[in-house]
Amino acid sequence: MSIKINQLTYIYNQGTAFEKKALDDVSLEIKKGEFVGLIGHTGSGKSTLIQHLNGIISPTKGEILLDGENIHKDKAKLKEVRRRIGLAFQYPEYQLFEMTVYKDVAFGPTNMMQSKDEIHKNVVAALETVGIAHDLYEKSPFELSGGQKRRVAIAGVLAMNPEVLILDEPTAGLDPKGRDEILQAIKRLHQERGITVILVSHSMEDVAKLVDRIIVMHEGKVATTGTPKEVFCHVKELEAMGLAAPQVSYVFAALKEKGFDVPIDVFTIEEAKNVLLNLVKQVSV
Amino acid sequence: MKMVKAEGLTYEYIKMLETDHGTEEEKVAALKSVNLEIEKGEFVVVLGHNGSGKSTFAKHINALLEPTDGTLWVKGMDTKNGELIWDIRQTAGMVFQNPDNQLVATVVEEDIAFGPENMGIEPEEIRRRVDDALATVRMQKYATHTPSKLSGGQKQRIAIAGVLAMKPDCIVLDEPTAMLDPVGRKEVLETIERLNKEEGITIILITHYMDEAVRGDRVYVIDDGEVVMEGKPKEIFSQVERLQQYGLDVPQVTEVAHLLRKEGIDLPADILTVEEMVGALCQLKLTN
Repeated sequence: MSIKINQLTYIYNQGTAFEKKALDDVSLEIKKGEFVGLIGHTGSGKSTLIQHLNGIISPTKGEILLDGENIHKDKAKLKEVRRRIGLAFQYPEYQLFEMTVYKDVAFGPTNMMQSKDEIHKNVVAALETVGIAHDLYEKSPFELSGGQKRRVAIAGVLAMNPEVLILDEPTAGLDPKGRDEILQAIKRLHQERGITVILVSHSMEDVAKLVDRIIVMHEGKVATTGTPKEVFCHVKELEAMGLAAPQVSYVFAALKEKGFDVPIDVFTIEEAKNVLLNLVKQVSV
Repeated sequence: MKMVKAEGLTYEYIKMLETDHGTEEEKVAALKSVNLEIEKGEFVVVLGHNGSGKSTFAKHINALLEPTDGTLWVKGMDTKNGELIWDIRQTAGMVFQNPDNQLVATVVEEDIAFGPENMGIEPEEIRRRVDDALATVRMQKYATHTPSKLSGGQKQRIAIAGVLAMKPDCIVLDEPTAMLDPVGRKEVLETIERLNKEEGITIILITHYMDEAVRGDRVYVIDDGEVVMEGKPKEIFSQVERLQQYGLDVPQVTEVAHLLRKEGIDLPADILTVEEMVGALCQLKLTN
């Protein structure tokens, strides 16, 4: 399933003193199975954009096509759109409410009137994908750790078998271990289920590690899009937009400035280690 | 007198467990005999994974929680003494993770005035304090704005100004940047550093971001309710594997340096910043 956004404009509080253009003529295409990172500082329009994709708000101008069909055209079909494009909000664990982990994840499928067997299959598959062990199924979700809670909440979206999963800041407020668990789960669900994933994040390190393509939003527009390598070598431009690059890329930018012959598109720890190892060895020869 | 002193600080709570035989009670210790001392004017960072007890510790400084055993003193005041509770809270202000949960008024300057108003301060003095606090967090331009229209970093600076207006000696910040974008994080961190360096306010910063932690004077690592490491950032972060055991990580450059050292490259063990890394690599090139 591909998502096509055509000249999307959204104005908050139109006609009042608080009128604000949150999205300004945005055109984008997200292909089936892609893993996309959406970055931009607070107020850049990324949340407004994902709320459109899930049909929570309707465009002021422009359209969103899901497999060629305008999702806002027929309001009766929005429910189906929301099933196909699942959205895990920021701090999704605040939305947990059931007595047990299992029941919480089953809430969506149950409301979709699935059969008992089907519900069971979907719930177990979703919990397995996010790495929640069977012995936690009957626990209260509120007894779990922060990272576990969040994975259960994401499983609740996955259990509805969406074709696209949008995650808004899935690692905010988690400790490094919880962060790694969530990122592993996201990576796994993208690989195992082959679904399209849109990751909204302030963590450039997370984005650099996971995604195929980055979309940078700035002042309601798409500022640039490209692979992590293409985007993160523009450190100065990113900073001007209130963003940053992963920490190691600054090392390479500085080395380059000092005249070392190093690539400037290095942003993961593993790669940095290898490049620097080579550099140091060259020097000592 | 120490700004904060804990001796045998223990906090236990009762957890109800649903079992086959009905409800059972289990005693859980969130803090186990913690001893520490924080000097006036220090910038101290507290690290630990979720559930390690660091927020429980922070809440004791503000007398939101009372120790089940041991004692915590804030500027010599025992937090168990109910009569001192307002003095303690005025001495040690607190800023939480989510700015939306701590702003109360619809206008920025009214929000900042809320604390001093409740302390019964004279109106002219309140005006002065609000203006000073706004200037300190560099938000004068927004005095008459609505907090809900501000960015996360700006909201958090308003929350800090609200605490500042009560003229605290010490500010405890519990993951103040967790919900912010890179610019917001930078703004808040610069504000915190300025309060510490220019105003001499003691800072206790709880964070998961290691690049923030390296900027403190001293670091405490809490694990399973106990202080397991204490020292200067350089002493703490050079122990990469030990930190990882406690579910923490180190700044990216520190990890790269650690991996290179393992490969036999002669780099210092205490590289924490981009500048230090670049410096060390250049040094390496020169000596060769």
